[in-house]
Amino acid sequence: MSTETTTTNETATDVDQRGLIDRLTASPFVSRLLSNRLALAGIAIIVAMVVIALYARLFLDLEVITQSQLGTNPNRAAPSLDFPFGTDGQARSLLPRVAYGAWYAMLFGTVTVAASTVLGVGLGIVAAYYSDVTDNVIMRTMDVLLAFPSLLLALALVAIFPDDLGLWRAVAALTLVYTPRFARVVRGAALTVLENEYIDATVALGAADPRVLVRHVLPNCLAPITVQSTLNFGLAIIDLAALSFLGFGAEAGTPSWGLMLSNGVSQGLLTGVWWWSFFPGFFLALTVLGFNLLGDGMRDALDPRMREAVD
Amino acid sequence: MISTRFVLKRLLLLVPVLVGVASLVFSILHLSPGDPALTIAGERASEEFVRQVEESLGLNDPIWVQYGRFLLDAAQFQFGESFIIQRNTAVREVLANKLPVTLELAIYGQLIGISLGIPLGILSAVKQDSITDHLTRIGALAGISVPIFWSGPLLILLFAQVLGWLPTSGRISVLYNVEAIRVTGLVTVDTLIAGNWEMFVSAVRHMILPASVIGVYSMALISRMMRSSMLEVIRQDYMRTARAKGQGSKITVLKHGFRNAMIPVITVIGIQFGGLLGGAVLTETVFAIGGIGTLLVEAIKVGDYPIVQGTVLTFAFLFTLVNLGVDITYSILDPRIEQ
Amino acid sequence: MSAPPEPPAADADADVDAPPARERAAIRLRLVGTAALAGALIAAVWLAAMLVVGDFAGSVETTFALGSLAFGFGLLGWSGAVALGRGIESMQTHLDTDTGWTERDARRAMARILGFGLGVMLGATVVGSVVATIA
Repeated sequence: MSTETTTTNETATDVDQRGLIDRLTASPFVSRLLSNRLALAGIAIIVAMVVIALYARLFLDLEVITQSQLGTNPNRAAPSLDFPFGTDGQARSLLPRVAYGAWYAMLFGTVTVAASTVLGVGLGIVAAYYSDVTDNVIMRTMDVLLAFPSLLLALALVAIFPDDLGLWRAVAALTLVYTPRFARVVRGAALTVLENEYIDATVALGAADPRVLVRHVLPNCLAPITVQSTLNFGLAIIDLAALSFLGFGAEAGTPSWGLMLSNGVSQGLLTGVWWWSFFPGFFLALTVLGFNLLGDGMRDALDPRMREAVD
Repeated sequence: MISTRFVLKRLLLLVPVLVGVASLVFSILHLSPGDPALTIAGERASEEFVRQVEESLGLNDPIWVQYGRFLLDAAQFQFGESFIIQRNTAVREVLANKLPVTLELAIYGQLIGISLGIPLGILSAVKQDSITDHLTRIGALAGISVPIFWSGPLLILLFAQVLGWLPTSGRISVLYNVEAIRVTGLVTVDTLIAGNWEMFVSAVRHMILPASVIGVYSMALISRMMRSSMLEVIRQDYMRTARAKGQGSKITVLKHGFRNAMIPVITVIGIQFGGLLGGAVLTETVFAIGGIGTLLVEAIKVGDYPIVQGTVLTFAFLFTLVNLGVDITYSILDPRIEQ
Repeated sequence: MSAPPEPPAADADADVDAPPARERAAIRLRLVGTAALAGALIAAVWLAAMLVVGDFAGSVETTFALGSLAFGFGLLGWSGAVALGRGIESMQTHLDTDTGWTERDARRAMARILGFGLGVMLGATVVGSVVATIA
C-alpha cells in the first residue's frame, strides 16, 4: 500500500509528530525509488547540475570575465588546457558560459514548472471537487490544449507577449502550455483521494470546501504532482532552449544553452567549429536525461492507482 | 467495410476545424501587440501613408466586418500578399513552394519512426524485462531527452564533417537545378520522374540526416506506446487461451496480438504527427531546409501576418487530414467500433 | 469559464436510449443557446462599463477578439472530439488508463465554450454598432 492511504488513515496530529526524515524513509515510494539504479543516476546528474548552476551564479561574473578576455583570447579556438571548451565567435571562453547556462536552465525551468504546477493544481482540484459542469468544461478545455503540439502552441503564445520580455516571454508561453498536464494529474489524484470515505466524513462534520481541499486533498496529491513536475522539468528545459534556438527566447548575449547552440550551429558548425554547439548541447541533453530518468523511476515507484494519470 | 458516406462525413469535419483555427488565428493577431499597417509601411513612413495602408487592409472597418471578411478569405485560402518575406507574392504561391519541402521531410521521418518503432516496441514487450527490453527503453528515453537541435548538429558533425559520407545541409546539391524539373515539389520524387539517377541519389543523400533526426524522435514515442499496448494485449485472456492450446508463444503474439495492439499505436501516430510538424520547424532550421516550418518562424519574427495566417491554417489542415486518415484506418482495423 | 448550470432536463438523454433526433437537436440548441446568452450578457455589461470609464472602441475590438478566441477554441475542440473521440476512448480502454474521458462529455463542454464565445462576439457586435449609430 502507498503513503497516500497510510497517511489518510492516521489522524492529523500523528503525522505532525513524526519527523520529516522518518516519514520519508518509511515511505514505500521513496524506498522503491531509491532501489532503482536509473533513478539514482538521474538524481546524481541533477545534483551535479544544481551544484554547477549555483557555483556559476555565486562565483562567476561573466561581465568581468569577458572584460578580462577582451583582445587577449583567440577567436574560435579549439578546446585546449587554457580553454577546456574552446572559445566562441566573440573570443569568449565557453566553459564559464556553459556553466552559467546551467543556472539559466535551472532558474527558468523552475519558474516555468512552478508556475504551471500552481495553475494546474488550482484548476485540477477545483475540477475534481466541484465535478459536473465545472469539471467538464475545465478538463475538456485542458484536453484540447493538450492536443496541440506543444512547440507550435508555444510559438503561437509567444507571439502574443511583447518581445521585450526576453526569456520571460518563453516562460509565460510554456507555463500556459504545461498547465493542462498538471491539471489532469491533480484531478485524477484528487478524485482518488475524494473517493476515500475519510473525506466524506470530514465534509459531513461541516468542514468548509477550501479547508477540505487544502488540508486533506492537496497533501495526498503531492506524490503524483512531484512526479509530473520532474518529468516536466526536462521538457521545460528543452522547450525553453528550443524557443531560444528559434529566436524567441533569450536576448542576444545571454549565456543560455539554447542561444549558444543556435549561434554555434549557424556560425560555427559548417566551418568545423564544433565545440561551440557541442558543449552547450551536451549539458542540455544530460540535464534533460537526468530529469527524465528520475521522473520515469518516480512514476514506476508510484502507487498504481495514482500512476495512470501521469504521463 | 467502410463506406464512402462514412469517409465523406469525416472529411466534412475539416470545415469546423478550419473555421475554428481561423477564428483562433484572427483573435491572436488582434490581441497581440504590433501594428500590421506600421509593419508594412515601415517605421519611418509618414502618418498619411500608414493611414493609407490601414485603409487598403480594411483595418478601419468594424472588427466584425474584418472577421467576416477574414473567414471568407480563409475559406478560399486567400490571404493576400506577403508583406515582408517575399514582398508582393501571393501567400498561396509562397506556401505552394514551401509546403512540399516540409511534407517530404515529415513523410520520410514518419516512415523511419514507424518502421523502427513498431518492431522495437514488439521486441521489447515480448522479451519483457530482458536486456533487450531495458536497452530499448533507455534508448527511447534518450531519444526523447536529446533535443533535435543538438542531435542534428551532432549527426552533421559525424557523418558530414568527420566521415564525409553525407552532405551537411540543403535538399540537393547546388550543382543541380531542381526547379527545372519540378512536378510535385518533392525532390526525391521529381528527380525520379525526370529519370535523372545522379540527381535522385543526391536528393536521397541530403534527406537521410534530417529524416533520421525526426524519425528517431517519433520512433522513441511509437516504441514506448507499442510496448505498453502489446503488453496489455499479451496479458489479456484470449492470448492465454491461445497459448494454452499449445501454439508457440511468439507466433501467437504476432498473430493475435499485433492487430489489436496496433489500435492505440495508430492513434498515437496520428496525434504525434503534430509534434512531428513542430520537430520539422527545428529540423529545417538546423539543416537549412526552407520549408513552411522556418517560414512560420520567420513570419512571426518579422510580423508578416498574411504568411502567419496561411501557414497556421496549412498546419491545421495537414494535422486534421492525417488524423481523419487515422480514424478511417481505425475502422478498418477494428470493425466493432464502427458506428 | 462561467458557463451556466446545466438544465436538469438535459441530463435525461443519457445516450443509452438515444432520444429522437428532434429532441436531441433541441437539447443541443439549448446548451449552446444558454451559453451564448451568458456570453452576450457579460459582453454587454462589460462594454457598457467601458463606455463610462475607459477606451470604448478598443474594448469592443478586444472583447470581440476574446470572443472569437473562445468560439474558435470551442469549435476546434468540438470537431476534435468528434473526429478523434472514438479513437481516444478506445485507446484508453485498451491501455487501461481510463480517465473518464468520453466523447459526449467533451462535445458538450466544447458546445458550451463555443456558444459562450459566439455570445460574446454577438454582444460586442450589437453593442458596438448601436453605439456607433448613436454617436
